[in-house]
Amino acid sequence: MRITPAALEKVALSPKTNKKKSGFLKEVSKNRVLFIMMLPALVVLFLNNYLPMAGILIAFKNFKFFGRNFFENFYKSDWVGLQNFEFFTSTPDAFMVTRNTLAYNLAFIVIGLVVAVFFAVILNEVRNKYLSKFYQASMFLPYFMSWIVVSYLVFALLSEEQGFVNKNLLPAFGISIDSLPAWYGDPAKWPVILTAVNMWKFTGYNCVVYVAAIAGIDQEYYEAATVDGATKFQQIRNITLPLLTPLMIILTLLAVGRVFYSDFGLFFSVTRNVGALYDTTLVIDTFVYNALRNMNDVGMASAAGLYQSLCGFVLVLTSNLIVRKIDPDKALF
Amino acid sequence: MYKAKKLISLFLVIGMAITMVAGCGSKDNAATSSVAATSSVVATSSVAAETTKALDPVELKWYVIGNGQPKDMDAVLGKVNEWLQPKINATLKLNVFTWGDDYEQKMGAKVASGEEYDIAFTANWALNYLQNAPKGAFVDLTPMLDQYAPKTKALLGDKVIKGASINGKLFAIPTNKEMAHNWGFLINKDMAAKYAIDVTTIKKFDDIEPYLKIIKEKEGANGVEPFQSVVGESAYRLLDFEKMVDDNVPGAIYGDGRDTKVVNDFDTPEAKALFTTLNKWSKAGYIRKDADTITDFSSNRKAGKVFSAMASLKPGKDAEESVSSGINWVQVDLTPARATTREMTGSMQAISTSSKNPERALMFLELFNTEPELCNIINYGIEGTHYKKINDTTIEITQAGKDGYAPGTQWMFGNQFNTYLYSTEDPKKWEKFKTYNDSSVASPIIGFTFDTESVKTKVAALTGIKKQFMPGLETGKADPAVALPKFTEKLKAAGLDEVIVEMQKQVDTFLATK
Amino acid sequence: MSRNDSLETMNSVSPFWNGLFNILFTIYSIVCIVPLLLVVGVSFSDEKSIITGGYNFIPKVFSLEAYKWVFKSGDTIVRAYGLSIMITIVGTLCSVAIISMFSYVISRKDFKYRNVFSFIVFFTMILNGGMVPWYMVYTNLLHINNTLLAYIVPSLVNAWYVMIMRTFFQTNVPDSIIESARIDGAGEFRTFLKIVMPLAKPGLATIALFQTLGFWNEWYLPLMLIEDSKLYNLQYILYKTLNAIQYLSQASNVSGGTAEILAKLPSETARMAMCVLAIGPIILAYPFFQKYFIKGLTVGAVKG
Repeated sequence: MRITPAALEKVALSPKTNKKKSGFLKEVSKNRVLFIMMLPALVVLFLNNYLPMAGILIAFKNFKFFGRNFFENFYKSDWVGLQNFEFFTSTPDAFMVTRNTLAYNLAFIVIGLVVAVFFAVILNEVRNKYLSKFYQASMFLPYFMSWIVVSYLVFALLSEEQGFVNKNLLPAFGISIDSLPAWYGDPAKWPVILTAVNMWKFTGYNCVVYVAAIAGIDQEYYEAATVDGATKFQQIRNITLPLLTPLMIILTLLAVGRVFYSDFGLFFSVTRNVGALYDTTLVIDTFVYNALRNMNDVGMASAAGLYQSLCGFVLVLTSNLIVRKIDPDKALF
Repeated sequence: MYKAKKLISLFLVIGMAITMVAGCGSKDNAATSSVAATSSVVATSSVAAETTKALDPVELKWYVIGNGQPKDMDAVLGKVNEWLQPKINATLKLNVFTWGDDYEQKMGAKVASGEEYDIAFTANWALNYLQNAPKGAFVDLTPMLDQYAPKTKALLGDKVIKGASINGKLFAIPTNKEMAHNWGFLINKDMAAKYAIDVTTIKKFDDIEPYLKIIKEKEGANGVEPFQSVVGESAYRLLDFEKMVDDNVPGAIYGDGRDTKVVNDFDTPEAKALFTTLNKWSKAGYIRKDADTITDFSSNRKAGKVFSAMASLKPGKDAEESVSSGINWVQVDLTPARATTREMTGSMQAISTSSKNPERALMFLELFNTEPELCNIINYGIEGTHYKKINDTTIEITQAGKDGYAPGTQWMFGNQFNTYLYSTEDPKKWEKFKTYNDSSVASPIIGFTFDTESVKTKVAALTGIKKQFMPGLETGKADPAVALPKFTEKLKAAGLDEVIVEMQKQVDTFLATK
Repeated sequence: MSRNDSLETMNSVSPFWNGLFNILFTIYSIVCIVPLLLVVGVSFSDEKSIITGGYNFIPKVFSLEAYKWVFKSGDTIVRAYGLSIMITIVGTLCSVAIISMFSYVISRKDFKYRNVFSFIVFFTMILNGGMVPWYMVYTNLLHINNTLLAYIVPSLVNAWYVMIMRTFFQTNVPDSIIESARIDGAGEFRTFLKIVMPLAKPGLATIALFQTLGFWNEWYLPLMLIEDSKLYNLQYILYKTLNAIQYLSQASNVSGGTAEILAKLPSETARMAMCVLAIGPIILAYPFFQKYFIKGLTVGAVKG
């Protein structure tokens, strides 16, 4: 059947009839086109995300191989309850690792938000549009570099024997060779280094979202404000920032859901997985990698993933609830 | 519609699987012991069927590790199949994945999802043989060897087969190559000559110290490392512990066979003495300060900025290393040649539990190990195209060979003693290998494999801790008086004692039944 | 127009602040660009000179060895380039279409089940079933492993981008416009295509840019789902080569043929050359997307 605009309109405008149908089906027939528009995404989500979720059951199995297909293997493997989670709870590092993961992510969320919004807002005020375009493009560059390259760059700067900082920069300021910092030996320096590297790589990327959002704001607001004599800073405070708030909330909520995950490349490659730094650099993902890389244990790997998921889930539900209390329109769901 | 039907059926299957499992979860506790039983029943029953009827044509899917799929693979496989088909009516499909993640991830997914394939490369360092085999990922070949691979069985000999077995069951065929190792120094020959250093005077580890001092004084300003200490391949290797699980998990017996007591090898008097020496060397500047963070150690070797380093040795190791780095090396053997599970399981081909034709796969491996022609095609490609023969045993790779087919992994493919040598290699290489193998001392617990099952979560917890302390200790950066107690304390908190007790129990049982 | 211009001038920050902003951004831009120049510089250097002299912006000894080494496989890289471009274009177009349709629906305040469907999307960010079942969906159920679809299908919908787009539609498409379109007799889909989409151009360009980057930089999907070396995309070849370099330069127990490869391998410079090759095309494509972010251009065009 070819759907003509006229037919659609009829569907959309048809008065509420057919009281027998349940709420959902009625909605489907009323908004058929809207549902058709959602269909492709729903199919992909179902196949790519929802169907595999049955796999979380593996976390409760001692997974072994018995025959020629997965279901036989799954069926014959023993249920072991929470045993697969023990490797995480029995380690003396559990607290440290969880603390590091949360602290870094919260720092990244807060600093990332402030810096990205700040840059987007003032970038919008740069008078020369060609320059502003150039700044935007160059800020975006670090995002193109893979973590492996970034880790080499950091190493080229901080290496104790050949690094630029210890070899050229600090001696130039008259710092004696004996008091040069041992960058890769001192855990206390890494919270700052990792935060800086993370900001450097992602600020441009985050900034782009907000720049686009500002570009979407109706010019008439500003024109009216100017006519009323509002200063530029008043406009930013009273027009730009309030209109960016929904986006800020949504991106922050999304990030909160992932605070138990971390960027493997940052914490593994950039720190060079140096053991001496673990006190401040070991996060859940790298800890799990270090523990399980030689084990090939599907069950324990699933358990680690499930633990991260569940913690994130609880956090997101809580924060969404808080947002909903304050302003229902801005909640995620 | 077709997809929808499949979707529905998949759902049904999942649903059924879930309900069935949920229904009878508790009575499944006999499963552990039935792992091997299932696979051997499958094998023997089809063995009987196979011999009575003519062979059906099959395709064997074979996955190995290397530098990726060579350009001329199809042509080479054509040649292989031309040879193979008349013999066992099978065609080969060989796929070379890349080192590291590529192989581990792809094969990990195939094994875990039960995807069908026939043969895979496995070892203690790739597609973890010691973990996957006991879980049932590979077919137990023990009952099939006599019928399908008698020559291979004879060729490898009892020592190797025992060493590669897990609880008396062989799950993969080891490559026939050097089957022992020893440890010692690689020393920059030219630099030693320049300062008139006689390397033959170095008999034990400490003997090199005065020479390190000379190099530090004379060449230190040029950025030369007197002693390169590499994380994971450091002087700690000299202690040559026979590890229970792998290098990351504490627990080992002394490799010299003095007793069979399991100890925490990181905290032994010998280890402590060694760490103290290294710490002294590091302070004296013989070891670079950031050695614990270096992952690419070959570039300094290539640049001629390394005087000495620790290495796993075998006959002709110095010559190989000289080719690869362009610097002349001389090797100094410090420990005697020793045969351990590490070599026996260092390079193997396993047959997958998901294979539909395990017998045919084994028949292929038998031919591969015993027929020089087949082995050489797979190792070097097509004669005249990829290589030229210089004489009966020596070849030279052509340019077309370098571009089109040069896997360069002879240690992985079949029977090394059957393969050609490069014209640059020692013509007596295989004889030397044989002497080396024969001279090696077997470990008292060869063939023993620790079953991690009962303590596996503890083992996982212990695995990560080594990474925090060992790199500092083995490169001399950390003071053992401070770091070692902390290290041990943390290991104990993660359940070290319990794991050691379990290890000792299994070793004792193994020795009692031997 | 002249009124707008004068307003524009009036409505700008003072020269002092403008200057300050410019200084700030100039410094930050340098911080961002300099490391990239370092990467380019190293990629054109001689391997030996890097090992002895360290990293440098200007090659001490100029050499194309690294690029020669990367391109030695001949047609493989060229084909991979072609595949990557194709996958990126097709993938981005499909994905932007699917994401925007979905997020438009859940952005509509008059759509009763918008929260339910938002949650359905959001939930996928929180929970995943792990690699094994995911792998089986593509190999055992859809059978699209080892085809080009394996590059595209898994990345079509991304919860982040759905949420960003939803917010975009909510804030930049006034309900009154949709309402008036309906009164004018336009159907739902027509309204979406002709009225809503043009208003959301900045948002669409953002999503498209991110997805282009995503498809271009994809290496995990081929790692899991592609076996045929003729179907490898550029990123994956680079990833494999990087891995191999790392492995080869660490391997101490390999013999014969590998030793020869190792001796000739320009490991430091080849790494950087590959980075340059991988990010080059994306940098060239960036201005195309950036066009849409510039204020006035899009919004102005829509307003006519």
